[in-house]
Amino acid sequence: MTFDVFLILNSIPTMIEGLGITLKLLFLSTVIGLALAVVTLLMRLSGHWLLTWPAMFYIYIFRGTPILVQIFIIYHGLPQFEFIREGVLWPLLREPFGCCVVALSLNAGAYVSEILRGGVLGVDRGLHEAGKALGLSTPHRFIYITTPIAVRLAIPAYSNDFISMLKATALASTVTLMDMTGVARTIVAKTFAPYEIFIAAAIVYLCFTWTFQRGFGLLERYMSRYVKKDA
Amino acid sequence: MSVIYGWLDEYFWGATVVLKVFGVSLVMAVLFGLIGSAAKLSGNRIAGILAGGYTVVFRGTPELLVILIIYFGSAITLTTVSQAFDPDIQFIDIPPFWAGALAIALVVGAYMTETFRGAFLGVDYGQIEAARALGISNFKTFIYVRMPQMWRLALPNFGNHMLSLMKDTALISVIGLEEIVFVAEIATTVTVKPFTMYAVVAVIYLAITTVLTLAVAGMEKYANRHLETSR
Repeated sequence: MTFDVFLILNSIPTMIEGLGITLKLLFLSTVIGLALAVVTLLMRLSGHWLLTWPAMFYIYIFRGTPILVQIFIIYHGLPQFEFIREGVLWPLLREPFGCCVVALSLNAGAYVSEILRGGVLGVDRGLHEAGKALGLSTPHRFIYITTPIAVRLAIPAYSNDFISMLKATALASTVTLMDMTGVARTIVAKTFAPYEIFIAAAIVYLCFTWTFQRGFGLLERYMSRYVKKDA
Repeated sequence: MSVIYGWLDEYFWGATVVLKVFGVSLVMAVLFGLIGSAAKLSGNRIAGILAGGYTVVFRGTPELLVILIIYFGSAITLTTVSQAFDPDIQFIDIPPFWAGALAIALVVGAYMTETFRGAFLGVDYGQIEAARALGISNFKTFIYVRMPQMWRLALPNFGNHMLSLMKDTALISVIGLEEIVFVAEIATTVTVKPFTMYAVVAVIYLAITTVLTLAVAGMEKYANRHLETSR
């Protein structure tokens, strides 16, 4: 057993291809997930049971099951039904990439809507009342008073979720998608050098988590620039 | 639906494997978390750097990659070492159960390190000084003064980490542990009903996570019972 540095250098080009898929998955599913989360959040805040209950059910299901199982149900499971195979979504659900985007987005939507709800609930009631006293309508109060503060409050939790999403993209390799982990697994299967290749992949993931963490830290500082510092 | 009945016993045994992995890795994760947080709070520079490196690496790498590194890495190391003694040996590995349990415990332990650290810091320092003034030994202070108060503060986050640990157990099927995702795979090849089979897995996970969530809520209520009357 030797530690082969050349093996790592040789695998870099194919790894970069896989990295592209990982990042594409990450950004697509965070953007779609965020949209889903906002819709779910509005449903939950609406106060009408016909909207609140489906939203809570959706959150309960997707937060209570492993992402791997969700991916398997969508990728292996859905083609069991005739109407899926003949439906409009089939071109999307036939490809592993589409399935992973769907699964990760649905999962992100459930988690992020809870994070955003935490932010909204953290907004001081007094601000709301002040807005009311100034004669702002409910949508205006939500857009101009609640949203900016809720977003600032939600950023730390959201950055953690974003990083879990990055880590969750590695699961795409279980449905034959050639993301970075998938590429690493194929190279290991060929060369049987797990330490070199997997550790190289892990270092790339670490670089990205570090960069994202720094980025969110700077964003948080920027958004809190007018907040009075304690002590 | 009737196709499920023939597989119920398989799912049952798979579920016991899931619970066993969960139990084993929960114990390990708590241990890693306690050691990590003790190292971070010890004030010793080397221990602090080691614990810091541990949390950065294991919170930034995908769980799947950690499982693969530990399983395949340990297999190749063990094989090489044992071949030095007996050249006839072809392949030796750590059982997937232990490799997987260790891998997810390392990841969740890194998260618990941060949670426990915060909780230990949340215990008023005056309490420790008072214990010292009463001549109570450091060890007894830890057990009787710091731990009981720290648990209460750590519980909400600890509950979340326990849930993610539960959901991470699904990943161990990738290295061939015969738990419920694995059972669903086998059942699918026989019955060609993938959606039904993976849905059963989702329901089992949902049931376990629901019980865990309720248990944590109950524990939180118990831990905070001395605050009830003052409200």
